[in-house]
Amino acid sequence: MEKRFMKGCEAIAEAAVRGGCRFFAGYPITPQNEIPEYLSWRLPEVGGAFVQGESEVASINMVYGASASGKRAMTSSSGPGISLKAEGISYLASAQLPAVIVNVSRGGPGLGSIQPAQSDYLQATKALGHGGFRAMVFAPATLQEAVDVMYDAWEYAERDRGPVLVLMDGCLGAIMEEVTLPPMKEVNFNNTKDWCLARVDGREESHMITPILPEPALEMLNKFKGMTYKGWEMNDVKVEEYLIDDAEYVVVAYGIAARVAKEAVNTLRAEGIKIGMIRPITLYPFPKMSLDGLDYDKVKGIIDIEMTIPTQMRDDIELQVKGRCPVYEYGRSGGMLLDDEGVLSAIKEFIKEGE
Amino acid sequence: MKKSFVFSGSGGQGIMSAGIMLAHTAIDMSKHSTFLPEYGPEQRGGSAKCTVIISDDEIISPLTKKCDTLVAMNEQAYAKFAESVKEGGLLVLNSSRVKSGLDRTDVRVLAVPVDDVALELGSVKVANTVIIGALIGSTGIVSKEVFIKSLEDKFKTKKPEVLELNLKALEKGIAYGESHKK
Amino acid sequence: MPDYKRPKSLMPMATSYCPGCMHALATRLVADVIGELDQVNNAINVVSVGCSALNLYTWAGDVIGSAHGRAPAVATGLKRCLPDRLVFTYQGDGDLAAIGLAEIMSAANRGENFTVIFANNQTYGMTGGQMAPTTLIGQKTTTTIYGRDPETTGYPLQMCELISVLKAPVFVARYALNSPKGVADAKKGIRKAFELQMAGKGFTFIELLTNCPTNWGMTPLQTLEYMNTNTIPYFKPGIYKDKEGEA
Repeated sequence: MEKRFMKGCEAIAEAAVRGGCRFFAGYPITPQNEIPEYLSWRLPEVGGAFVQGESEVASINMVYGASASGKRAMTSSSGPGISLKAEGISYLASAQLPAVIVNVSRGGPGLGSIQPAQSDYLQATKALGHGGFRAMVFAPATLQEAVDVMYDAWEYAERDRGPVLVLMDGCLGAIMEEVTLPPMKEVNFNNTKDWCLARVDGREESHMITPILPEPALEMLNKFKGMTYKGWEMNDVKVEEYLIDDAEYVVVAYGIAARVAKEAVNTLRAEGIKIGMIRPITLYPFPKMSLDGLDYDKVKGIIDIEMTIPTQMRDDIELQVKGRCPVYEYGRSGGMLLDDEGVLSAIKEFIKEGE
Repeated sequence: MKKSFVFSGSGGQGIMSAGIMLAHTAIDMSKHSTFLPEYGPEQRGGSAKCTVIISDDEIISPLTKKCDTLVAMNEQAYAKFAESVKEGGLLVLNSSRVKSGLDRTDVRVLAVPVDDVALELGSVKVANTVIIGALIGSTGIVSKEVFIKSLEDKFKTKKPEVLELNLKALEKGIAYGESHKK
Repeated sequence: MPDYKRPKSLMPMATSYCPGCMHALATRLVADVIGELDQVNNAINVVSVGCSALNLYTWAGDVIGSAHGRAPAVATGLKRCLPDRLVFTYQGDGDLAAIGLAEIMSAANRGENFTVIFANNQTYGMTGGQMAPTTLIGQKTTTTIYGRDPETTGYPLQMCELISVLKAPVFVARYALNSPKGVADAKKGIRKAFELQMAGKGFTFIELLTNCPTNWGMTPLQTLEYMNTNTIPYFKPGIYKDKEGEA
C-alpha cells in the first residue's frame, strides 16, 4: 500500500480512477476544480474519457449517457452547480443509471462564498432533484475516508442502480494529508451487463433505458425503490460512535465539523465531563438507531454541530430524540469556519444550560 | 508533541508553498501533518492563508483558532491574524514589509527581512525557503537535513542552480532563526 | 430494388403519432437507412422530449430517453464510452433550438462523432401547439394567438445556418418531407451522415422540415401546400456544409 501526502481533490480523483471510474464530465466551479483538472489528464491514461461540459446541466447529462454504456461515470461540483445538476440526477434515478456525484460544498445560499461550508445537507438528503427519489449520501471526515468512500461508491451505485452522492465540504477538498491509496480495481461489466447498452459478451437483444414510464410501471418502480431505501436503513448505515456508552451529552456532527468537535469532546473528557459523539458517515441512510438507542435516562442533551446556520441535520436528529432531551445547535456559516475554541465554549454553554 | 503554524500574506508571497514544504518535510520525518489553505477569490495578489499542523500522533482537527506560530508576510495579514497566535507563541514577521508587532511582549517576535534577503540572493521566489529556514533555526520543528533532501529531490537533476539558490536561502533563514534562539 | 418491408429497427406496431404527422415518416427513413447499412444491432437512438419521445415505444433497437434538450449531451457521454456504436439523437425544434440550444451548439462545436436528426415542425406539438423558436412570423400558436410578432419574440431560428458556420461539423443539411423528391433526398442525406459517422469523421446534422396537422389546424394535405408557400421559403432546403465533399 502506498502512502502519499496528497491534496484532497486530487486524492479523491485518483481514488475514483482506482475505483474504476472511466468517464468524467464537469464544469469549473470553486472549490473543486482540482478534480476535473486532475482527471482531464488522468482518465485518458487509463483509457477513459474526460469532457469539459458547456454547463453543469450538460455535464450531468453526459454522465447519464456515459453511465448507460455500462462504464463507471462521475461528475463533481459545488452547491450552485449541484442545484443545476438536479435535473440530471433525477433522470439518473428514474432511468436507474448508476453514477457518482461529488459535492465539495461551499457557503450558501446563492453564489454564496467560495469558502468551505456544510450548507447542502438538506439538498443532499431530502431533494437532490424533483420527483421524490433518494440517493445514498456519504460524508467523509478525513481524506483517507474520502478516498475509501470514492473507491467503493460505484459498488453501491451499481448494486442499487442509481446516483450516489459524496458530500464533502471545501476543507476536505483543499486539505493535504496522508492517504493510503487502494490498488487499481479490475472492473468488468458483470455489474452492468444486464441493463447497459454495451454489447457485452456479444449480446444481441436490444435495451431501452428510459426516464419515463407508463403510470403502473412507474408506481411499481417507486414501490421497489421505497423498499430499496428501507434496505439501506437496515444494512448500509455507516456511523462512528465515540465515547457514548456513559455519555450525558452527545455531540452529533459529520465531516469537518466532526473533526473539530472531536477535539472538543477529548478536551471535555479530560476535564471529567461525560460527553461523546455520534458521527454519521452516511447522511442518508441516517444513523437513526444510534440516536434512538441512546439511554435517555442518562443523556441530558444532544448537541448538533454543523458548519452552517441554521443547522440542517437537526430535524433528522429530533425525529429520533423524540423530545426525550433538549437538542442544542451550534454552527458557523457563509464560509466562516468552525474552530476549536468556538465549539468548546458553545458546548460548555449548553452543558451549563442543561445542568 | 503537536504544533500549529499559520502562514499569512498575499498570493504570490510563497505562503502556500512554504506551508506545503513544511508539512511535507514533517511527513518525511514520519510525523503526522495536515495542510489547509484558505484562498481569496482572486487568482493573484489576494489574501492567502494556510494552516499547518505537525504532530507525533494522528491529527484529529486540521482547524485551530490559535496557533503556536504565526508567520505574517505583510501588514494586512498581520492586522488580520495578530490575535491568532497563542500567548508565548512565536510570531515571525517579514520585517521588509511588516512594522507593526515588532515590539510585542506577549509573544516571541522573530523579525526576518524575508523580501530583502530573497532579493539579495537574486529571486523573490526563494522567500518560502527563507521562512522555512527561520522556522528550522528558531524552533527545530523539522530537520534541516530532511528538508535539504527534499530540495535535492526536487531540483538536483533538473535545476541545479535553483537548488543552489534555495540552499543559500535556507542558510540565511536559519541564521536569522538561530540568532533569535539565544 | 427498394425494400418495402418494415425496417428491423421499428416494432411491429402502429406509431402513436397523429394521422398525417411526418414524424412517422422521418423515423421510418432513419430506420430504413440503419437497416441498409446493417447497423440495426449497432445503432443507439438517443430520444429527446416532445413528440419525438414517442420513439421510445416504437424503436426496436437500443434506445435511451433523455431530458428535454439534453440529447446531444447524453449522446456525447455515450459515444465517448462506446465509440464503435452508431449513435444519433432524434430531436424536435422546441427541444433542440430552445431549451437545448447550449447542448446542440456545444456538441457541434466539439465535433462529437454522432448524428443529429432534427425534426422541425415549427411548434411544440406534445404540449399543445405553443410558439417554438422556429415558429414562422405571423404564425398563430397557443402563445401567439395573433400570430408571431418579431417585435416581442424575435425571428425563427435557422439551425442549419447557425451550425454550418462552426468549424467542426462535417455535414449539415436540410430537407423538406412534403414531396417525394424531398423524402428521397432526405434519405440520401441521412445515409451520408451515418456513413460519415461510421468513418469517424465527426459531427453530422440533418434537419427535416416536418408538419403538425393537429396544431397547425390543417388537414395533412393542406400542410403540404402550406410548407411550400410558407416554411420552405424561410427554411431553405439544401446542403449547408459538406466538409468531405469540399475537400
